[in-house]
Amino acid sequence: MLRERTRYCLHATTSRSAGVSKQETNFQFLERFDKRVAQLAKQAEKYVHTDPDSCMFKLRLMVETMAKKLTNLQMRSDISQDLGSMLGALERGGIVPRRQADSMHAIRRDGNAAVHGSPTPVPTAMRRLHEAYKISGWFCKVIKRGSKVNLNEFAPPEPPAPLDQATKSLHGKIDELEESIEQRRLATRESLLMFGPQENVKDVTRRIIEELKALDNVAAAAGEPIIDADFVALVMAMDLEQIEEDPRHGGDSRQARREAEQQLDFIKQHLAEREKVFLAERTFLIEQRNES
Amino acid sequence: MQESEQIQLATLWFLSARAMAVAGEEMAAVQEAATGLYAQAILGFEESVCRKAKDVEHIDNKTLIDCLSGVRQLPRELAEKILTGVMMISYADRKMKPLEVRWASMLASAIEVSPDDFQRCCVNARVIASMLRPHGAPA
Repeated sequence: MLRERTRYCLHATTSRSAGVSKQETNFQFLERFDKRVAQLAKQAEKYVHTDPDSCMFKLRLMVETMAKKLTNLQMRSDISQDLGSMLGALERGGIVPRRQADSMHAIRRDGNAAVHGSPTPVPTAMRRLHEAYKISGWFCKVIKRGSKVNLNEFAPPEPPAPLDQATKSLHGKIDELEESIEQRRLATRESLLMFGPQENVKDVTRRIIEELKALDNVAAAAGEPIIDADFVALVMAMDLEQIEEDPRHGGDSRQARREAEQQLDFIKQHLAEREKVFLAERTFLIEQRNES
Repeated sequence: MQESEQIQLATLWFLSARAMAVAGEEMAAVQEAATGLYAQAILGFEESVCRKAKDVEHIDNKTLIDCLSGVRQLPRELAEKILTGVMMISYADRKMKPLEVRWASMLASAIEVSPDDFQRCCVNARVIASMLRPHGAPA
């Protein structure tokens, strides 16, 4: 019988030795919330050592199933069914927090890479499985409000046979590489956000509001005219087609669109290239091992 | 441009942008994402510059008055780009609150743009906001 890894709040968590043997699973608790997701998670767990590519397929499918369920539950029906778009919409809508979204995107990316023939090392699959475990706990709380799920520490599935020294060493190197890739992704992420990681967003926001109100009072007291709010509202209400057809603005807005599109494409291409470099670094390590 | 100057400029951008986002009362995720993309794609800052600009040592001691004063000293084209970006942040959530109008007004006054130039910035901002928001995405 499968051993359950999660206890509800009232139950005491039990300590256990590291590693999940063949008969055990980290994901039994998911059964109570979503059988399909639980099944995919358990399959991924089963394959993590023997077939890490299949483990990634299952994890990707698991994330896709979660994203569809969350989209159906909490969003409009016209969201694209493409996983990347669904995750983007869920994150922008505030349904998936940043940490979970990052993990889901990482699983999506590595799952896609595996589908397209890029080999998945065991440590990478294990890392994603661990992330899937953490996402699962959060997912249960979202789909059944009021549920209190206390996750035990993730117990990595044990390999079917002990690893030799060369494999252990390779796994160590791959883990280091994965860590470095995650740091680089995090750096990219931080560069794109409005606030820095050390900033206290609440404090900064409060300070800005105080300053804005003070400036507003000063400007109003000085009788300073404000920008034509009606015009701003009009621009907001206009369709882009109308703006572009307007002889006063058409030329500029078309030019702005062309330039901005080119610049955005450049950034997107740059980000895509970096992901390719990450994959190439990982593949290089695996190939080295195969050659030796 | 030296890296220190770039960081200073990027700090000005992030201050202006977050003032507009905060003025909108609810900071939508789409505004957060648009801020960094605009910094890199349109203003041309490197990733590292964007990160350093938000380091506490660079941004924490600056007020909105410093921001207005800094924007005022920029070359006209660059200042207009910042104004356009700030208006884009405002359009990103499809709402316009009184403090947002005030912040736009103060920036425009600092840069001394004419009403026509301001309208041009607004229209360009509207176009860019529509590009950064994926079709059908919530505000």
